[in-house]
Amino acid sequence: MSLSTAPGLQRPKRWDSPFSEDITDADVQRLLRLAPFKDMRPENFPRNASLAEILRNDGRLKLYKDGEIIVRQGDYGTSAFMVLSGSAEVVLHPDLPPSVVGRREPSRRGIFRAIAQLWSNAKEDEMERARNRRGAGEEDRSVFLQDIPVLLNRHKTATIHAGSFFGEIAALSRMPRTSTIFARGPSTELLEVRWQGLRDLMRNDSRVREYIDGIYRERALSTYLAEIPFMKYLSEDAKQQVMAATQFETYGDYDWSGEYKKLAQAGTAAIGKEQVVATEGDYPNSVVMIRAGFARMTQRVGDGHRTLNYLGSGRTYGFEEIAHNWRKPENPVPLQYSLRVLGYTHVLVIPAAVIEQVVLPAIPAGQLPPLIETDSQDTSAPFALPEMPQDGETAPRVNADLMEFLTQNRFFNGTETMVIDMDRCTRCDDCVRACASTHDNNPRFLRAGPTHDNIMVAQACMHCADPVCMVGCPTGAIHRDAFEGEVVINPATCIGCTTCATNCPYEAIRMVEQRATDGEILVASDFKPILKATKCDLCIDQYGGPACERACPHDALKRMNLNTLDELVGWLQR
Amino acid sequence: MRHRLALRRAVLVTLLVAASAAAAWKFGQVRLLYPRLAYLTGWILLGLMLLLTLYNSRKKLPFLPLLSSRLWLQAHAYVGLFTAVVFLLHLNGRAPSGWFEGVLAWLFVSVTASGIFGWWISRVLPKRMTTAGGEVLFERIPIVRRDLRLQAEALALKAIPEARATTLADFYTREVSAFFAEPQGFWSSLAGSRRRLTALLGSLAETKRYLTAAEISSADRLAELIRQKDAVDFQRSAQLVLKGWLFVHIPLTYGLLIFSLVHVMLVHAFAGGAR
Repeated sequence: MSLSTAPGLQRPKRWDSPFSEDITDADVQRLLRLAPFKDMRPENFPRNASLAEILRNDGRLKLYKDGEIIVRQGDYGTSAFMVLSGSAEVVLHPDLPPSVVGRREPSRRGIFRAIAQLWSNAKEDEMERARNRRGAGEEDRSVFLQDIPVLLNRHKTATIHAGSFFGEIAALSRMPRTSTIFARGPSTELLEVRWQGLRDLMRNDSRVREYIDGIYRERALSTYLAEIPFMKYLSEDAKQQVMAATQFETYGDYDWSGEYKKLAQAGTAAIGKEQVVATEGDYPNSVVMIRAGFARMTQRVGDGHRTLNYLGSGRTYGFEEIAHNWRKPENPVPLQYSLRVLGYTHVLVIPAAVIEQVVLPAIPAGQLPPLIETDSQDTSAPFALPEMPQDGETAPRVNADLMEFLTQNRFFNGTETMVIDMDRCTRCDDCVRACASTHDNNPRFLRAGPTHDNIMVAQACMHCADPVCMVGCPTGAIHRDAFEGEVVINPATCIGCTTCATNCPYEAIRMVEQRATDGEILVASDFKPILKATKCDLCIDQYGGPACERACPHDALKRMNLNTLDELVGWLQR
Repeated sequence: MRHRLALRRAVLVTLLVAASAAAAWKFGQVRLLYPRLAYLTGWILLGLMLLLTLYNSRKKLPFLPLLSSRLWLQAHAYVGLFTAVVFLLHLNGRAPSGWFEGVLAWLFVSVTASGIFGWWISRVLPKRMTTAGGEVLFERIPIVRRDLRLQAEALALKAIPEARATTLADFYTREVSAFFAEPQGFWSSLAGSRRRLTALLGSLAETKRYLTAAEISSADRLAELIRQKDAVDFQRSAQLVLKGWLFVHIPLTYGLLIFSLVHVMLVHAFAGGAR
């Protein structure tokens, strides 16, 4: 093995690739004279990440013209905005159609570039790439809304004035943008801050933290509540009553990756360490809606707890019991299951009184959940295995042990989990070779991982609903693709700090040595090899989707969304 | 439970049988009318063989939008079986004459048979491997085997000072060390024979009567390691077969293609004599 130790080859650092090359010292000084930055205390910031440096490297100034779209609903974004001058308009409802906001498929390789890979692919593994990932930065293309007066007539909007922040929900929660926002007036100047910078501002200044936290809660609530099915039966007035009574509750810290990994690795011991939102047998005093993260629904069996289902974003708990008690007050039931959360889980809590007084009377009788049969389950028997709960919209059923396997290993977080049917897999490794052929001769996953019965979940990036790997990235190299939300790494801005690889509970990110074009391993001035994080990018720029899945000759490998069980159940019964 | 897969297989088998029956019926109708029908069946046969070899090319081009490998393999398997039917029609009940035709026919039969064998083991062995447990990546098997051996040796050595006796260590040296040293019988492992495992565990159980309490605990752990090594041996044999059959199927295919092309040239070079 040969090494390349070019003199002066420096290890990449956080701000080697600033958010913008155009921001000047004068711009930074101007920002420091504006609220809220002028009120921040520079001594609260560490020396290696001062307030000025955060603004200089994690911020950029952008001018928008009248009608120019700043953020689009549904896109993934990793930055927040502050209006410096002018104003922005947020579209509340109804949503703008995708064609109006210019949403389109991300560009993939053309057919000729796909064929050209036959001879253009690097011969050496992991050649150093200075360029950005293909497609990175395409979100910068401007899209203008047409006929704004008509649009303002048809859609309810709200104005965001100078000094206000927006976009922080998507940036901080790593979820899609909840609204489309466009510039109003001849010139709107915005400060865009990468989420890493926003995080540092919040971390080092309590007022910013409280301010962002406040608007985050205020703006998110109406959007989130709208996802609960029963909300559609309510009048505007009733919705306002529900909103007024709803409380946010957060379990765990935002930077929860370490705890999450610890719990994931704790296996069956973890259940005792999980925080309990509601306990089986207690009086049902609220409906809980999961907003971010996951919770598991468990039922007591003997001296332990069996997982019956897991609830992800948008799923509710406790409604059936409250509805039963409202209809049959003479025969009330307690909570049928316990609800336990892991790491960072964000829930909305609607008190039972509001549900009984405002929500239930508005729901048509035929749409109410069925009454709970109180004597159908005898959980006092030491080994009584409870029935899997019906889901309402879908009623997937998987083996109880498989459910426990998925939950214990937190696989429900994956939206593109690589699941392999080991009864059909011939261990030919065609999937591994296909991955290597499409990714610098180095496969981005391991065909190994936790196995239950004939189901293996391979060590491949699952493109999590809430990607913990992104939490600590200092440069934003690991980010969500703006269109589909795949979690991808930009090799040009990855500094090889290993934070993402350490955070990932699924061992799906690998640090690899970079090579020069002559095949020699690149070594920094400290005589250690230069590393970059690599992981599955779901063949985002290839034709036809993930090469691994297309390369499997035996229909054994499938990328699937495990946020709900529907896809898995369909695949198991294929 | 696997409704869709079963339905798909039933449809494809039905199509194969229907296509084969139609080809045989049509061949029977026209074979007396066209004396040069062997040329037609020959060219069809060559075309089908070339089509079948495209699958290997597809596997080497995963970045091109060329349909999924699953569809290609299904087409490869069913077209391959249909090709065997066309081969029989091409022979037209005549046995190959001469060494060249003999080798050509042998190559065709070998390629077809190895393909069917590969298909069969790819359906049978994965389930057995999953059931057997001890799943390990093929490349890591020597490492796992070495780890098991080191653990077993450490157990045997540890028992000496603990028990102040060498009974277990002697037993290990005499009966078990060879078992951990290298993979055990390929075919017996593949066949799932438990003879060697049962014999070793039986000997160990017999030896237990001479062991101290400290040694018995090590002996129990040693029995577990023996079971793990046995499972790894089976995984190795199974994965060797699953990977190895292609090293028969593909070279034979190249040989078949070369012989077939020469056969075509010879046939056309001496076409006058065939009239």
